[in-house]
Amino acid sequence: MSINSDNSNRRGGNPLFLSTRYVIQQHAPDQDVEATITAQSFQTVRLTFFISACVTTTTQQTIKIAAPSDKNKALAAKKAALKGVNGQKARKIRTSTTFNRPKTLKLARSPKYARKSVPHVPRLDQYKVLKTPLNTESAMKKIEENNTLVFIVDVKSNKRQIKDALKKMYDVTALKVNTLIRPDGNKKAYIKLTADVDALDVANKIGFI
Amino acid sequence: MAAPKAYELRTKNKAELTKQLEELKQELASLKVQKVAGGSAGKLTKISAVRKSIARVMTVITQTQRAQLRLFYQKKNFLPLDLRVKKTRAIRRRLTKHEASVKTVKQQKKDIHFPLRKYAVKA
Repeated sequence: MSINSDNSNRRGGNPLFLSTRYVIQQHAPDQDVEATITAQSFQTVRLTFFISACVTTTTQQTIKIAAPSDKNKALAAKKAALKGVNGQKARKIRTSTTFNRPKTLKLARSPKYARKSVPHVPRLDQYKVLKTPLNTESAMKKIEENNTLVFIVDVKSNKRQIKDALKKMYDVTALKVNTLIRPDGNKKAYIKLTADVDALDVANKIGFI
Repeated sequence: MAAPKAYELRTKNKAELTKQLEELKQELASLKVQKVAGGSAGKLTKISAVRKSIARVMTVITQTQRAQLRLFYQKKNFLPLDLRVKKTRAIRRRLTKHEASVKTVKQQKKDIHFPLRKYAVKA
């Protein structure tokens, strides 16, 4: 680009940048351009250098200030200083509007010492579940008529535990178990036996008839 | 078997002790049933003896177990909490005897060079 002072309409006065019109001609990008001094005025010379310095960054003109690679490095450093270097990271694509807590590492426990030296033996074993059988009049009625045994059991036991305990202790299968808690705080279990066994025989075998 | 004695039980190993425990418990269950069915006086007094025997066997089991565990943990850094000294919470948090007696080198030198002097007044 060469800058020619257009002095055609020039009036007298301060021949500064603003007062004189300058015609800027674009040259082809690859051309090496030296600042051309066409007019006689000193201001033009100053102006030329000023414009060329400004214009260098926006157009593709190569002006012999420095070698290309150094210049690129300088520009990259300037950009990094001003804008920071994290702008290049790719943003994660979100396909759902819901944000779910990201899953992090969950380590298993590896304690330095056991809190309890040995785990306890099971506290509610079959001997503890079934306390005593009942042989009251109504209990006897149940044995004879409904094929059920009536037991006082531990309060903490449930129907499944009562079934298992009966199996372990007396080798008898229970059909179903009904429980209630008596007013004196014990639990009573009505244990209906399967049809193939007779409750009366079992009671005799146990020994409480 | 006339109520096992503790020193006899200690000679047995764990499997035998567990078996004996089972037998005692079964005996106790049958005694309780007989109590319901109106058992004789002899049977009823036996109940307390059997209960104490059960307790004796369980005591021997846990005592030998814990003794073995202490041997196992002797060389290790960290004991399980129930094998550690119990005392009281405050005592456990105190400085140990050694920690309390530790002195700086500076203090040791002072003590050596300027000990507490004892004087006597001549009568």
